[in-house]
Amino acid sequence: MSTSLTDNPAWARRIINRVRGLSRLSPTAAAGVLIILCFGVLAIFAELFMTHDPVSSYPDRILQGPSVEHWFGTDGNGMDVFSRVIYGAKFGFGIAIPAVVIAVVIGIPVGLIAGYRGGALDETLMRIFDGLRVFPSIILALAVVAATGQSLLNVVLVLGFLDSPVFARLVRAEVLALRSSNFVESAIAAGNPTWRILFFHLLPNTIQGAMAQTAVRAAWAVRISATLAFLGIGIQAPTPEWGAMIRQGAEFMVTGQWWVAIFPGIALIFLVFGLNLLGDGIQDILDPRRRASK
Amino acid sequence: MNLLNITDLQTHFVFHDIDNQRREARALNKVNLTLDKGEILGIVGETGAGKSLTAQSICGLLRPPAKVVGGSVLFLGKELLSLSEEELNNIRGAEIGMVVQNPKSSLDPLTRIGDQLVRIHQTHTESSVPVARAKASAMMNAVGIPDPEKRFSAWPHELSGGMAQRVLIAMALMNEPKLLIADEPTTGLDVTVQAQILELLKDLVHRFEMGTIIITHDLGIVAHYCDKVAVMFAGEIVEYGAVTHIFRRPGHPYTKQLLASTPEKLKLSEGSSLGGQPPDLFNLPQGCLSQDRCPIASNQCKTPPPVITLETGQTVRCHFARQ
Repeated sequence: MSTSLTDNPAWARRIINRVRGLSRLSPTAAAGVLIILCFGVLAIFAELFMTHDPVSSYPDRILQGPSVEHWFGTDGNGMDVFSRVIYGAKFGFGIAIPAVVIAVVIGIPVGLIAGYRGGALDETLMRIFDGLRVFPSIILALAVVAATGQSLLNVVLVLGFLDSPVFARLVRAEVLALRSSNFVESAIAAGNPTWRILFFHLLPNTIQGAMAQTAVRAAWAVRISATLAFLGIGIQAPTPEWGAMIRQGAEFMVTGQWWVAIFPGIALIFLVFGLNLLGDGIQDILDPRRRASK
Repeated sequence: MNLLNITDLQTHFVFHDIDNQRREARALNKVNLTLDKGEILGIVGETGAGKSLTAQSICGLLRPPAKVVGGSVLFLGKELLSLSEEELNNIRGAEIGMVVQNPKSSLDPLTRIGDQLVRIHQTHTESSVPVARAKASAMMNAVGIPDPEKRFSAWPHELSGGMAQRVLIAMALMNEPKLLIADEPTTGLDVTVQAQILELLKDLVHRFEMGTIIITHDLGIVAHYCDKVAVMFAGEIVEYGAVTHIFRRPGHPYTKQLLASTPEKLKLSEGSSLGGQPPDLFNLPQGCLSQDRCPIASNQCKTPPPVITLETGQTVRCHFARQ
């Protein structure tokens, strides 16, 4: 490098440090980042990669095996499995990201307030959230989506809401540890109203664990939404969503047409796997102790 | 009108036992203090005497189970004890500044020094960021932080203990408070830094004409930097008056014992260390609270001691103050 690092403006230096930080990631975390990047590109630019329209059917080519024309074969409706798998990435992210955003937006403020206020409010909020956690999430999601009507939006809302206790609990635990810390007491003594203490001081100091969880919870959301679709709840069959495709393909497994279910299954496994690895990676970046031990 | 007028302040810790019986620890028992502007008052006493509790009661910083159960705290004629949390927030950090102990952990670890200073100014005033920044740099200069512009973007963990304490003092002074409460401002700092910080504090107090309360258990600090001193024992002020008088002729036996137990005196074997324990706050004795540890205690001490004002103006809570 001809110019030294110190010549760069602060923001440039920060970005350079970030990129260098990435190269220090563990191999597994790096793999996670790579997988998610690939899926991200697939989801955003799906139209560039698809060889066929994902929902137009070729009635003369029903259930054909993988070939040069149809790389992953065709399904029971004569639709191109490869294009549908690619397009399915849009649903994967399109459900997981908003669901996690909703979970964070609900869960973190609840955790902050419950942890900081304590007492009856804390008990009430936490018992409500415990109530949500008592039911197996898949059954609860199934029931709520079935009751509220089958749409993509409902699936996203339900998953986000069901997942918010995870973030609330994480943040609450951190707040409990910090609320009697010296800097919070100083902040009170400095005349900060409660909302300023919560969002300016406690939030930045407690959000680490929750941030590391986002990727893991996104993986959960992908898994659950695919499961719902597999069970025929939420997203319906001709839609190129992986769970729905696996559901359709499952019928053909016994008769030997494996490609209809296997390819979306592999895509699903990789996305969930990648998100989990990414979660580890974020944890590594955020937690200096783990970084140091590497 | 005095800047601060505390009368009969009582703070108790109220617990409920495992068998749901109410137990009360009487942590502050009718504390009376006054403070004028430009005056430095030292509060001394051993651990658990109620020094910090007094400060917290003044500012409404008590957390359950601690609770003010009686008395009044008049600040510029305003009753602080009856203010709502919101009204208190407008006073804390603006008209009353607080410097706490443990400077390093009292700064938000994830906010740059400059931003913390700017924020405390903006919490209480409408001023714009550039104005607040200018003010912050001026304050950092005033508390002796070299090169304020550069330190502005420093993180709390990059500061030494002494620097962090200076930042905290700067934060307390940002809104030019009329009352400054420094709760053990130099605990954990080494002696040279301690002297610098206290010298600085004294200088700033005179420059801004603030009334100041310094809470400490170091009599040396009181002797050097304070105008008045209140000696606390078991939640009571046992002696109160001008530093010069009290250090020359202490009226209360406990004050005498405290003065005799300073390390210098002990080394010269003129002094003696304090024996015994402070009384159990759950179960305070009848009469004088320090009777168990007092060398001159007699039967008379089973009755509550009067508060006697000596010719020097110092008030002493003891039956034998005049002897």
